[in-house]
Amino acid sequence: MRTRTLLLIIVTAGVLLFAMASWAKSDSKEKNDAPSGGTSASSSRPKMDEASRLEGEKRFRANCGRCHAAPSKFQPRMTATIIRHMRVRATITDQDMRLILGYMTE
Amino acid sequence: MKVYLPRPGKAARLCLLAIALMVVCAPAANGQDTQPDSFDSIKPTPVITGSTAYFSRVTGGQWQDSPSISPLLLFPIGNKLLLEAKGASTETWAKNAQGDYAGNFTYGLAYAQLDFIASRYMTVTAGKFVTPFNIYSERLTPNWIRALQTGPLTSPVTSNGSLGGMVRGGFPVNGQSVNLTYAAYFSTNNTNHITATDRSSGGRLGFFLPGPRLEVGGSYQQVLQADRPHSAGAYVEWQPNPLPLTLRSEYVRSSGIKGSGYWIESVYRLSQIPYLKRLELAGRGQQFFAAPNLSAATIKKLGALGRDTNEGDAGLNYYFRSDVRASATYGRQFALGHDANLWVFGMTWRFVSPLLPSGGAQ
Repeated sequence: MRTRTLLLIIVTAGVLLFAMASWAKSDSKEKNDAPSGGTSASSSRPKMDEASRLEGEKRFRANCGRCHAAPSKFQPRMTATIIRHMRVRATITDQDMRLILGYMTE
Repeated sequence: MKVYLPRPGKAARLCLLAIALMVVCAPAANGQDTQPDSFDSIKPTPVITGSTAYFSRVTGGQWQDSPSISPLLLFPIGNKLLLEAKGASTETWAKNAQGDYAGNFTYGLAYAQLDFIASRYMTVTAGKFVTPFNIYSERLTPNWIRALQTGPLTSPVTSNGSLGGMVRGGFPVNGQSVNLTYAAYFSTNNTNHITATDRSSGGRLGFFLPGPRLEVGGSYQQVLQADRPHSAGAYVEWQPNPLPLTLRSEYVRSSGIKGSGYWIESVYRLSQIPYLKRLELAGRGQQFFAAPNLSAATIKKLGALGRDTNEGDAGLNYYFRSDVRASATYGRQFALGHDANLWVFGMTWRFVSPLLPSGGAQ
């Protein structure tokens, strides 16, 4: 029990320290109310038009912002997985899911 | 005052029939879709996410330290399936009867489910899942999401985990002005200590208005074992457009021995003040009403659910980044002979990583 306890404390402390360290290095200009950073989608995909991008941002704020702070942008394939998960978890409509995915991977 | 609820079996059948009709009628109500289908080309990759936290809690003078980790595996299979499994392990350190500081390790499985996206309007889920009753247990439980680290008094009233099948989904109705969301489930009885669930059925129906960012809904749960209690619930959540404010509330009423109650929560992000924009203020008021005419033995067995309780909570969250947060919560609980101060403070980190080395690449 003691070994397991120590291991859990070390792992937890380690990840928190890692998070703090990476925060210290991160760009201090991070926006608070919109996704930031991350990697752009592949250039093989067509760019969203401005209207779809704005609609995607609106759906993002309305759906995702209801429960949690806006996350950083992730790699497009990771975003696709997370959006699929959130579609189920938060009963996001298919249309909202697609617009949010488009906005998050721009 | 006695409140009469519809007969459980009849209400459950009506609820299921209504949901089936809505799903069948959804394509007609939805009209043409205009979404950018080019984004179908993004192939999802397995992801490991979750959160880790370290919290210190002082409950009525009793100090506890608890590091925890809750990993969540998301494994997409093809275009229609998603396997998701979330575990949780916590080490709780507190002084024992001898005055020594001792740890107690606990672990569990929050959910392990396979989701099949049957259509735009319906997802079919099998496995162990979080019971779709109101919104707190499904959406707000993770410690990196919840605004206050003390939980609602009404959480234990309903069965929060289910093992069985569920259909759920959402679709726009009335143009784009309203999204209708639904969930209906059936759960079997399971006594394994990791996957323990009750035999029950129920569902949730909600209306989300994206314009005013208002969501209202109701839930129903019928336990099909022991004294077969049924529970009804209602919830509302509103984010006024001009303000970084969230208001949410839940109400739960149970026919059994577990009583009823409600809570109202407000969360305000100081995003309009330059030096305080990473700070969030939260407050919650709640009341719990124990079921009447409980025997002394039942009150002892129910613990906190056996007595009327009022509680007020206030808290601060500071976002170092969107995924690293420090939290502090103070609550004052008023219960006959059990008044207590509740302090919780600590940190959370929500992590996200591809499971495979090439996970993020297109």
